[in-house]
Amino acid sequence: MKPAPTLSMAFLHPAGQLLPEPLAALRKQRGTALVDMPLPTRKTENWKYSSRHLKLTDDMAISLPAEGKTGSSLAVPGYKVAFLNGVMMPEASEYPDLSGIRIQSFGDLDDDEASELAQRLDDTLGGSDEKGAVQMARLNSARFEDGLLIRLKPGAALDQPLFIIHETSADASGSAYPRIFVDAGANSQITLVEEYISSGSEPAMVNTVTEVMAGEGANVTSIRLNMEGDNIQHIGATGVVQQRSSRFESHSVGFGGPLRRHDLRVRLEGEGAECKLNGVVATRDKQHYDNHTSIEHVVPHCNSEETYRNIAADQSHAIFSGRIHIHQDAQKSNADMNNKNLLLSNGAEIDTKPVLEIYADDVKCAHGATIGQLDEISLFYLVSRGIGRREANVLLTMAFINELVEQIPVEAVRETVQGRLSHFFEQTFLEA
Amino acid sequence: MLSIKNLHASVEGKEILKGINLEIKAGEVHAIMGPNGSGKSTLSQVLAGNEAFEVTDGEVVMNGENLLELETEERAREGIFLAFQYPVEIPGVSNMQFLRTAVNAMRKHHGEEEMNAAEFMKLAKDVSRQVDLDPAFLKRGVNEGFSGGEKKRNEIMQALLLQPKLAILDETDSGLDIDALKVVADGVNALRSQDRAILMVTHYQRLLNHIVPDYVHVLAGGRIIKSGGRELALELEEKGYGWLGIKDEATADNAAN
Repeated sequence: MKPAPTLSMAFLHPAGQLLPEPLAALRKQRGTALVDMPLPTRKTENWKYSSRHLKLTDDMAISLPAEGKTGSSLAVPGYKVAFLNGVMMPEASEYPDLSGIRIQSFGDLDDDEASELAQRLDDTLGGSDEKGAVQMARLNSARFEDGLLIRLKPGAALDQPLFIIHETSADASGSAYPRIFVDAGANSQITLVEEYISSGSEPAMVNTVTEVMAGEGANVTSIRLNMEGDNIQHIGATGVVQQRSSRFESHSVGFGGPLRRHDLRVRLEGEGAECKLNGVVATRDKQHYDNHTSIEHVVPHCNSEETYRNIAADQSHAIFSGRIHIHQDAQKSNADMNNKNLLLSNGAEIDTKPVLEIYADDVKCAHGATIGQLDEISLFYLVSRGIGRREANVLLTMAFINELVEQIPVEAVRETVQGRLSHFFEQTFLEA
Repeated sequence: MLSIKNLHASVEGKEILKGINLEIKAGEVHAIMGPNGSGKSTLSQVLAGNEAFEVTDGEVVMNGENLLELETEERAREGIFLAFQYPVEIPGVSNMQFLRTAVNAMRKHHGEEEMNAAEFMKLAKDVSRQVDLDPAFLKRGVNEGFSGGEKKRNEIMQALLLQPKLAILDETDSGLDIDALKVVADGVNALRSQDRAILMVTHYQRLLNHIVPDYVHVLAGGRIIKSGGRELALELEEKGYGWLGIKDEATADNAAN
């Protein structure tokens, strides 16, 4: 049997110089550990639908230069940190000195801070038996060149959303590895907006990792917008660990590409913790989008609520895999997972896979998944009022996701997202 | 205004309309009565342009234009309005958004400026009061969670907003209690005008007590078998469809109850 392909040394040991010594050492160690890592194939369960879109060519082993300017496509008020090709751009960032809150690039950490961080990196994404996803996050650990550390002291609250703009500038082929680590102390509060955009037209890959440690009573909201071009492969992982009575909310909105993959893992480790995970995906042409989520109820009395919607047009392909794991001790867990899907053409494909593993006997756990098409009678009703067919299709398609878009907590982001989704569907139905 | 000649239509290969002939002039109110399964709703749907029904023969001309060649939305913009027997619930699209989009589609078609949200809100609130709907319903999803009566009033409200040339009311009286019936009838009477025609499709004649038609037609087996003035409706009420030699299971059931 032919052995599964592995990564080259160039891929695993990049040259970057920005990191303080403890983080550089960690990175080297992670790279070495991956030498024999087999790459995901069609037979890797979690990469069944996506492995054939993963193009880890030698070109992708080249680090993209972090030169030039970045600009968000969101013209909204708030604090801003800009990253270009995985490296922070201080001149394009704007945030004040706030008491109790530190926002620092990895490159600016002193050796003690870096050493402390090095000990904690990957904690939220480790210890899983699902190899494929962890491997891709570990590839980030082997190759990150910079990163953002956000630390909130107990009780600290960020008074405005923090926008983190990750631009991949693909004037040449290569890859970038943005990294965020959020350490939210007890009863702290923060809203993050992670926006992924791109410029340039060469094939490139961005591999991102965001880790969130939510302390007791902390309240963390994360909005993730995937807006990159059709030349970008995006592989992202978000790991969250929640302590007692903390709350984590995720609102993810993404448009398809040659490869879009996001793994979101939440571990509820303290009683009374709760999480809410919302996701909206829209794909068209031959685009691909693959969301994998995993929620672990480790202790009793935690709540999780998950709602994902996929809309696939043309020959595109959207995937949702949602896992809820209720550990043996996690009595009185409440878990609700819902995934609805809308196919806009005969050539589109959506795969959905809810997985529930329940080892406790006193829990409330519900899940539902549906796949459907636009309703002909609703469409007739709208056009019988003089509304054009294209506009009616857009209205009905937006209706399928409005409930989730309306929950995005930052008004300016919500309006921008609404506009972009509408525009996306207007284009989709124009060509139909 | 509307001229229907020898109209044949089928659904899933089964012929429902078997040669309808009907002339409607501006300002007139026509009622089409008939037992269940006679083709009343099919006629409404075919005129509005539901593609589930296939027109196999005949013609429909409105103000000189061949209606059957127009798309559903084009018919609406030319002035056809169908009040649905079963208005559709569309969660996720607010009534406000739906109504404003429809009104602006019409205005655009007629070369008028589109209404902004504030202008439209004022208009919509006024009209919603006219049909006794709480303006708060504008924020809810289209017909979402509405009672039967509220849905029918919403249909009439749409007619009042869109000001059609021909309003087709498909069983608008079904499922209404007497108070709701009165509100709906008032709305329809407000629509009556010299340059608008109304075509009411109904099983029972009680709506005709409130909206007095100029002409009554009896539809059975896909054809109009009798036409007359409003006295025809009263005669039907008194004698039942059996009088015309028509079997009507629903009427028979009602009589048995």
